[in-house]
Formats: sequence, structure tokens, C-alpha cells
Amino acid sequence: MSTSDGIPTQALETLLLALADDELMLGHRNAEWTGYAPLIEEDIAFSNIAQDELGHSLAWFTLYQQLSNKKPDSLAFEREWSDYTCCRFVTYPKGDFAYTVVRQYLFDEAEQVRLRAFSLSPYEPIRDVSAKILREEAYHLMHSQGLIERLGDATEESHRRMQAALNDAFPQALGMFEALEGEDELISSGIFGGNAKLRDEWLGRVQPVLENATLLIPGAPADFGGRKRNHVEYLQQLVDDLQSVYKIAPGAKW
Amino acid sequence: MSDTQFDTYEVFHQKKKGDPHIHVGAVHAPDPQTALQYARDQFARRLACVSLWVVNSRDITATDYQDERFFSMVLDKSYRDPKDFDAPLKETNV
Amino acid sequence: MNSQVTAEDQLARFEERVARGEKVEPGDWMPDEYRKSLIRMIGQHAHSEIVGQLPEGKWIPYAPGFRRKLTLIAKVQDEAGHGQLLYRAAETLGKSREEMLEELLAGKAKYANVFNYPTPSWADVGVIGWLVDMAAVVNQTMLQQTSFGPYARAMKRICYEESFHIKQGYDLVATLAKGTPEQKAMVQGAIDRWWYPTLMMSGPPDNLSAHTLQSLKWRIKTKTNEQVRQEYVDLIVPQIRALGLTIPDRDLKYDEKSEHWSYTQPDWEELKRVVNGDGPMNKERLAVRRKAHEDGRWVREALAAKRKEVAA
Repeated sequence: MSTSDGIPTQALETLLLALADDELMLGHRNAEWTGYAPLIEEDIAFSNIAQDELGHSLAWFTLYQQLSNKKPDSLAFEREWSDYTCCRFVTYPKGDFAYTVVRQYLFDEAEQVRLRAFSLSPYEPIRDVSAKILREEAYHLMHSQGLIERLGDATEESHRRMQAALNDAFPQALGMFEALEGEDELISSGIFGGNAKLRDEWLGRVQPVLENATLLIPGAPADFGGRKRNHVEYLQQLVDDLQSVYKIAPGAKW
Repeated sequence: MSDTQFDTYEVFHQKKKGDPHIHVGAVHAPDPQTALQYARDQFARRLACVSLWVVNSRDITATDYQDERFFSMVLDKSYRDPKDFDAPLKETNV
Repeated sequence: MNSQVTAEDQLARFEERVARGEKVEPGDWMPDEYRKSLIRMIGQHAHSEIVGQLPEGKWIPYAPGFRRKLTLIAKVQDEAGHGQLLYRAAETLGKSREEMLEELLAGKAKYANVFNYPTPSWADVGVIGWLVDMAAVVNQTMLQQTSFGPYARAMKRICYEESFHIKQGYDLVATLAKGTPEQKAMVQGAIDRWWYPTLMMSGPPDNLSAHTLQSLKWRIKTKTNEQVRQEYVDLIVPQIRALGLTIPDRDLKYDEKSEHWSYTQPDWEELKRVVNGDGPMNKERLAVRRKAHEDGRWVREALAAKRKEVAA
């Protein structure tokens, strides 16, 4: 299915939902640090990042709404857990601060490559939203990369924790680049160059930074599944939490 | 065991170009670059901001409130106050 | 001028300046008792903000809808921000933030009793934002006039942000009050539970002890606890009623002559018990803070070590 201007609508919807779901789950996870971060200043920083990610999710859902006529709140708060198409990576528990930092950094770099690709897309709405989000992402990357550089080799404990976090997070992060349904159409219509290409660009960015922080990239295979709605159970718990109040009176004003 | 106390950095906030930087508070941070980031999150998340300065609190040299002589002007200095002159000109606002 | 000023002269000059409405700054001469009172008071205020993140923060994962979720994160974030500002104001008097935090975690420092009550329902988020923060703002508006400069400055910014807290709280409560029967019951239940704890926030009736008189004389505070509480009651009662919600006090009535609401005093014995550690949530609040502090220790140590390495 495609519109007259050559934009493959259905594949585009798939893409927008995946982007929105990724940001929703990561924003939810980051907000679990509000009140619990290692120092007050980091508490404030992570709360900002959580708000930004949720804001980005809202922006993608709003764009999706223009195609589907479904409201962002219903999309985020009314779907079955098995209907989301976020990658598994963003659904895992927040872990220790090392895991949170490593996940955030790997995600922020992925945002850089995918948003830059979309900001060249022929589809104007996705181009505009990407450019806006990129402006906020620059700061996220500065923050998370700064923590990677500082915590990677600061003390024996920080190195051990950061390496353990990377061992878990890296294969999961590769799952961000799992091919989407209809991705070939997106590529042929020039929306972006495809996830395999994004992954290679991403690798080119993260490898030197991680090496510089004395962290070794593990060889484990990518943790795919999320884009095909094949999730780990952590997502079920997350979605139960996310929707628990909303579902008391669905459709009511809250 | 006593915990880590970072340095503190005084934060100066400029709302728009042309305005002065104004002292708004301080952050605890391990280094100046991180202090700038924390200052942004704490002091520029609502207010408009185009520039932040951070200065290690230790690097500020200040006068002593108790030494009032530093600022005292006992003898008449009215000769350099515009208010003291009777001229049909508007005073420049300060 | 004689540089050998006696302690009595200094005290007299200090009190004269404060009485004129002049502010006191960190490097100024000040009576020891003034310094100690302010460190204790600002420290307690900072602790209240940090512990105060927890009762509402609990609801962040469950907040219904994007707008409520975003607003709640921003609100709880502000509390961290207020704690940050207040610890700094206290630090200018010579006590480090770390020392203050350690006292809090060791159970040696007090914080607002109101945060030792549980938050079993979503409506508690609205009622805390509206009632608790309204009571806090009445107190903090008074504190904008405090004689200690850094505290007064922190209060200006905090009061500005608190007006966002109150408005979002009111909006949440009003939405539930106009909602389904279930939502309305939820919000009435929250008002019933929070009414008396919020009355306690401004402290027990002043016995006009030497301590209170001195705080007033030094303009650390500019109003008595009773005055602050009455202001809160006069503000909030008509607003709660306007939403069709009730207040759990049968004796509440408007006194035409004094133009104030008269109300039943809360159970001051309960306040004593809660302040002394026997509230429903005291143990849990501190345990949670301690765990977060311990979990974060390696991060603080690593950042500090890296700094030394860079500096070396």
C-alpha cells in the first residue's frame, strides 16, 4: 500500500511505531532513576533525559496519528504488551547505574545515526520531527559519552561494572537494528538506507569511544525479536506498570 | 567511611545576549565540563539561557563583609555624582 | 575606629541591622546560635525535598497518560532541584552537603513529617501537589523574607516552581473530582487522609518559647506556626469545597468576625510520634534513601578518582 507520492504508508507506520515504542520504554526506564540517582545533580540530569525521551515518543506517536487517526495516549496506554514493536534492548530493567549509562550511550549513538538519516528523508513530516529531536539528542550524547569516558577506567570497580554492563548491553543494542517489516520499501522510497547500514555507521561511532574508555566489545550475537513482537517478559511487567492507573477507567479523563 | 565531596562550581546564567551573566547558585561536580552540564540541567531547564559560566568556588576572591572600610567613602565625593549637578540634561540610566 | 569590638557590641549591631530588614550574608558576623539555627533549619528543609521525592516518585511508573507522566517526572525532579539549592544555601554557613546527607541517612536529622505518610492511591499525587505544596508555599513565601540572604534567594526560585506544583496538583484533583464515581471516591479518600497531616506541617502551636521569640527577633522566621497554618486553611478550604469535595472536620466553620476559618487542631501527639520515627513510613523512607546512596557510592568515587587523574 502506498500513497500517490510514492511513500509506502504501511511501512512508514511500522517505522513510526517502532521509534515511538523505543522512546516510550526507555523514557519509562530512565524515569525509574528519579529520586534514586548517585548524586542529586545526576538525578536532575536523568529526569531531564527521561522527559526528553518520553517527549520524543509523543512526537512520533503524534506523527503516526496523522496517518492512523489513533491518539498517542491510546497507542501508549491501551495496547497489549505483545503489540508493541520496541526493540528488546529498551525493555530490560534499569540495572545498576553502569548498565543505565551504557544503555543510554549506545541508544544515544543510534539516535544520532537514525535521526541524521531521517532528516534527509523525502517525507517531510519525518524529516522535521527528526531535526527537532536531533537538537535535544546532542546534549544526551554529550552527557552519556562523558559518563562512559569518566567511568570506563576510573577505578577497578567502575571498570568492572562498566565492562559487565557492556557485555549485557552490547548484543541487546544490536537488536535496535533488527530489520522492520516492509523495510525494503522504505529503502527503495529513500526514507532511509536501512537498518544494516545504520548499524555499520553506529559501530563506527561507538567502537573508538568504548575502546578509549578501555571497554571491550563482546562478540555475542544480536538480541533480535522485538520488532517482530517477540518480547522478553520484562516488557509485560513494564506495560502492566505503565497502564495500571490508566486501565482503572480507560477512556476517562485522567 | 566518609563519602566523596566534589568541588563546587558557582554558576552564572545569561538569559539573552546583551544581558549580564548573573549568579544563580552552585553545583557539585567532579570537573568543570560536568559542572556545565549539571548547571544546564539545574538552572537552565526552565529559564531561557544562551550562556552559562561555571567557576570553581575556590577560585573566587571576595571582599570581607566585616571590613566595611573597604567601601567606605567618608569625605565628600559628590563632585562625581551626576545628581549633584544642576544641568538641563537627562541623566543616563544606570 | 576601634577594631576591638566586644561580643555584646557585635550582637547589638547585628540585631539592629536585622531589625532594619537588612539581610545577613555568609561572611557576615553572626551569633553562633543564629548560624546553628539556620544550618539546622535549611538542612531540614533540604532533607524534606529529597525525602519528599519518594512518596510521589512511587507513582511515576504508573502515571496515566503522557501529560501526567511528564508532569510528575518534572515535579519530582524539581524537588531534587530544590534540595540541591537548599543544601547549597546551608553549605555557605560552613557545613558540607555530604555531612548533612550523612546525618539524614543516620537518622540524626529531621525532615517534614508529612512525607512519612504512605501514598496508596494515584489521587495522592494530586493532593500532595495541591495541599502539601500549598501549605509549603505559605511557609516559603514567609521565608522569602528571612534575614539570611542565601536562604531568601533560594526561596524565590523555589516558590516560583512550587506554583507549577500547586497548579498541576489542582488540575489533577479537579479532573478526578469531575470524573467517574470511582475517580471521585479516589480523590475524596486522598483528601480525607491528607487533611490533618497537612495541618501539622507548619508545626505545633507556638508556646512562644525563648527559641521562637529569638527566631522572630532575628527574622529567621517572620510569622508564628499558627499564623502560617491559618493562612493555609483560609486559602485551601474554599477551594476544596468549590470542587464538591469535603473536608473531614465537622467543626470547620467560617468566623465572620475574624474573617478566618476555625478548624479542629490535628492530633499533636501523633505528630510527636511521627517526628520521632514512629510514623507509617519513616523506616522505609530512610531505608530507600540509604540504599540509593550506597548504590551510588562507586559512581561518586569513580568520578572523584577520574578528576584527580585528570588534574594530575
